[in-house]
Amino acid sequence: MPSRNKPFHDPLSPRQADPGGPASSGSGPASARFSDQLVAVLPRLRRFARGLTGSAFEADDLVQAACERALTREHQFQEGTRFDSWMFRIVQTIWIDQIRARDVRKEEPEAEGERVGTNEPMRRVEARLGLAEVSEALKQLPPEQRVALLLVTVDGLSYKEAAAVAEVPVGTIMSRLARARVALAARLEGGGSSGSRDDAEAD
Amino acid sequence: MQRPTDEQLIAYLDGETDGATSSEMAAAIAGDPALARQAEALRRSATTLRAAFDDILHEPLPERLVVACRGEEKVIRFPEPRPAQAKRMARGWREWTSVAAAAAIAGLVLGGTLGYFLAPKPAPQVATNPPPAPNLTASSSNWLDNAAGYYKMFVNSGADDRRLVDIPANPQSEAERKLANQLPQGFRTPNLQPWGLVFVGARLLFIEGRAGAQLFYTTDNKALGPITVVVASTTAPDLAPTFDRRGDLNVLYWRHGGHMYAILGTPDIGYLWNIHNDLAWQFDAI
Repeated sequence: MPSRNKPFHDPLSPRQADPGGPASSGSGPASARFSDQLVAVLPRLRRFARGLTGSAFEADDLVQAACERALTREHQFQEGTRFDSWMFRIVQTIWIDQIRARDVRKEEPEAEGERVGTNEPMRRVEARLGLAEVSEALKQLPPEQRVALLLVTVDGLSYKEAAAVAEVPVGTIMSRLARARVALAARLEGGGSSGSRDDAEAD
Repeated sequence: MQRPTDEQLIAYLDGETDGATSSEMAAAIAGDPALARQAEALRRSATTLRAAFDDILHEPLPERLVVACRGEEKVIRFPEPRPAQAKRMARGWREWTSVAAAAAIAGLVLGGTLGYFLAPKPAPQVATNPPPAPNLTASSSNWLDNAAGYYKMFVNSGADDRRLVDIPANPQSEAERKLANQLPQGFRTPNLQPWGLVFVGARLLFIEGRAGAQLFYTTDNKALGPITVVVASTTAPDLAPTFDRRGDLNVLYWRHGGHMYAILGTPDIGYLWNIHNDLAWQFDAI
């Protein structure tokens, strides 16, 4: 489980692969160092993308598109900034673009977050939920809440770091995350919302 | 302190509040059982969320992604399908059969010719020697051939052709019950929905005299294509996941805990491996 202050625990994380954090842009397109940074961050990108898309195949497509875009924009990466955040932002941007394009084509519209809340029938999950069920719960969240939840709760970024990735103020991340966490708890636990707290008090 | 908002409570749980606010929040939670329950539910759901995605970090990276990171053209290289010895044994069996057949024909011809001249002499014994008992590898090869062949029939006839499955996926409860009778105790049809793969039915089969089933999964994703999963009991020892090929199909098979498994399909080896990880995790419950 990632720690709040130490988000990178997997052995392939860029922080361990490169304690300096920021990547060097190297020389020439797809420099070996830049590619190494990409490969190192792949597991976390795949996890992020899996959470966004809810599909292993779509997730890897998304990550592949992000890697290809990163390679063409290697020169835009600013030394001294975090490489992982830069890649998360690219993944997020491509995914949002895909959602918008899908909405235009009226294909599989994203579920609205309002569907999930204190009024929806809740169920208590005693055992550990599988990825499929959690993915289903995530799908019910609006895209921007999903992004906040995955960056902070799953990947362990701080609010400030997540805000930088999403390119929104910290307060916006806070409110998106709060709505997402409450909705998720309501769906997975049958509680955790203000409504449930009020209900409990009424008992 | 006034009742904290959801944002404040979650920021506290996430360690995003300063020292003074954290102390106030801790006191508020301690003095409000409903708030404490809500905090616990939020903690648990966050833990569940993280745990669900944790395994992804440990999956082998699909080769296409690594290739993309290098900015190279996509090149799929398949590993050697089987250990060299197993391959030799399989080849040896085929060659022996060919030699035996050729010798049989030669023996008959020779025997007939000589018999014509030397009357009572029988044909050489080599023609009548029994072939060696098929080894385990040859046996594995046979059931994989069978599974691959049936997969081809299934794909060619269309996933909607129910004649090719003994147990349709729907109604699900009925399918589960029938498969449970055929398969190891505690067996549950693997859920591959996260991969976009939908279980459509199964056929029953026997491998080395033991009951098994071949499960069929389809997907709308043409790049991934349908896959089939074979599950059966076995007395053979555990076997590490092994790649193989059958025509244009990629195959991954392994044995664990008295069960044998195989995945066959057109996805590249990276995907098969990832699906194998998922299946192995789900089958651990057996």
